[in-house]
Amino acid sequence: MATVEYEGNTFNVDEDGFIDSFDGWTKEWVQYVKLQEGIDELNEEHWMVINVLQDYYKKNGIAPMVRILSKLTKFKLKHIYELFPSGPGKGACKMAGLPKPTGCV
Amino acid sequence: MRQKSQNAIAFNESFKKRTNRQHVLSFAACAHCGTCNDSCHYFLATGDPKMTPAAKMDKIRQVYKAQKDWLGRLMPTWVGAKEIETDEELLELQDIVFGSCTGCRRCTFNCPFGVDTAALVGLARSCLVDLGYAPEGIKVVMKDQWEIGNQMGISKEEYLDTLEWVQEELQEEFGNPDYKVPIDKKGADFVYVVNPREIKYDPRSLQAAFKIFYYAGLDWTMGSEGWDNTNFGLFSGKADLGGHMGNLAYNHAKKLEVKRMIISECGHGLRSTKWEAPNWGKANPLPFEISSLLELMVDLINIGKIVLDPSKNPYPVTYHDPCNLSRSCGITEEPRFCLNRACVDFREMIPNRGDSYCCTGGGGAMSMSEYTGRRLEVAKVKADQIRKTGAAIVATACHNCVDGLSDVIKNYNLRYDYRDSKTPSLLRVCNVCELVAEAMVIPAEIKKTAAKAPQNAIKGKKVLVIDDEPDIIVFIETLLTDAGFKVVTANDGMTGLEKAKTEHPDLITLDITMPGKSGIQFFRELRSSAETANIPVFIITGAIDFRQLMYQKAVQAPDGFMMKPINPEVLLMTVNKILEKSVRNKTVVN
Repeated sequence: MATVEYEGNTFNVDEDGFIDSFDGWTKEWVQYVKLQEGIDELNEEHWMVINVLQDYYKKNGIAPMVRILSKLTKFKLKHIYELFPSGPGKGACKMAGLPKPTGCV
Repeated sequence: MRQKSQNAIAFNESFKKRTNRQHVLSFAACAHCGTCNDSCHYFLATGDPKMTPAAKMDKIRQVYKAQKDWLGRLMPTWVGAKEIETDEELLELQDIVFGSCTGCRRCTFNCPFGVDTAALVGLARSCLVDLGYAPEGIKVVMKDQWEIGNQMGISKEEYLDTLEWVQEELQEEFGNPDYKVPIDKKGADFVYVVNPREIKYDPRSLQAAFKIFYYAGLDWTMGSEGWDNTNFGLFSGKADLGGHMGNLAYNHAKKLEVKRMIISECGHGLRSTKWEAPNWGKANPLPFEISSLLELMVDLINIGKIVLDPSKNPYPVTYHDPCNLSRSCGITEEPRFCLNRACVDFREMIPNRGDSYCCTGGGGAMSMSEYTGRRLEVAKVKADQIRKTGAAIVATACHNCVDGLSDVIKNYNLRYDYRDSKTPSLLRVCNVCELVAEAMVIPAEIKKTAAKAPQNAIKGKKVLVIDDEPDIIVFIETLLTDAGFKVVTANDGMTGLEKAKTEHPDLITLDITMPGKSGIQFFRELRSSAETANIPVFIITGAIDFRQLMYQKAVQAPDGFMMKPINPEVLLMTVNKILEKSVRNKTVVN
């Protein structure tokens, strides 16, 4: 298992660089991933997406489709991609500590 | 001889049963000549001799030799013939055929015998998958395709709900509350079959395609079933799954009595659905045609159903050729046709077309986390290629490539400096249809943008028109003079070259096929002389074989290109574009 060091925190990550267990997630993880995702500053809307993803994952054990994410946040598709340029699957889920989506993504 | 494990025995048996004539040809023809080495990005990035296509295939070639080759059966040790014996060997083989080859077929194109390594990999994969030797990701997706009918396990409700949402967003964009995404419309001209990634994560490409269909006024439909164009039958080598997925789509299209099936931008999706699955699923002959969205867009542009204004996509764009489209479907010019008309600054990635490097996520690699580390290591080749283009946007016509390339860009930190941003942004990856939809002039705007008069900065610039047909010269001359340019003409390459030196034109329009000095010779001589090397050249030709100018030569590529017959609007737009760019560049230099 690979580990990542970031400002005094250690995270266990899988082969795709996703956090290995949802329980290991902390706010510092988000700061670490945002650098790779090319996001300069995190605002309230980023956090809203992250919180919605986490709530949904806790209840359902899977990541929501982007449709559900938009319903819950009231954000338009275009706006979700403005917030997370690599998208809800690989960008936002990674930051929120969810596992990598399955399929060819 | 060592006792073989149960799994090894099962592998050898199914391998023997499944080896067909094509496999035998590829096994037997390989001379280990080494030509394929440089074609494989796994070898290029690592320099590891075990990563050459021939060496990778030797692991299964030895089984073929033991089973089919007469010399191998007679004197196995002499020719290195050996069946698989242990479970460890199976794991080793799994690592090779799933983890060290994306089945991109670049080696096949570079092989003097046409050895089809991807077909051999498919053979080995199919035997391994049956025994459970496969990456977890592949197993999950196969299960979802068998049980739910699409690769991301999307339920019918979720699918329809997403389409309704796309519809709502488009109603707003079109300003038309009555707009509907047609679902199961019987007798429509075509059914649009998509990649589940578009439904589950990224419907931007759906919005783009639907927008194009809307403004072009097409008669089309989505299917409520059989809407997944992807097919893990191809990646697992399992023809039964491949046939199942194909038939889901074919049967629904038959029920809808459509005339055509259009496949959204997906490399393996087009290859499987159009070329492979009709055989796997014994569905031939199909009562409808299958083509790619790219081909449809070319038609729509050609017949004027959609009009594009490239200035809406001002940043430099390059194109990545998806392996399955360029090497297995012959789709190379369609995306370029679209991008050249949808973007101001289209740049080739070199090498390209049939010689392009894999996005590194092909063959199902994106779903195999076990090998992500290696995938990103060998992605160096692709990263270098992208970096050299200096583009801000990488367009491609495959969803798998979109994700593969995004990973490459993030991992190698490829950025573009937009002037208005404080830090350079990561390059953007998108589908061709997104740029086309972006550039689309909506009908109300069409008249305003048609053949704009040249801007002041380029007014009165001198254009040298070279063509051997007097009619064409008069035609172009009239168009350009009317638009405010000065025109000088030449009717052969020799005169053209003299005038290029004496007249100092700001732009040359060049015909390729001319008696005497051909356009190609002219072009090379022009570019090789310091005096004339920087004059922009716009190729206007009836000949298709201009590609040697585009990417086989060391000289700087032409600045514009169009096919005859000449569309006056496109001609003027391109001339304006090239001159504006050269004025801009000169201002920067000065």
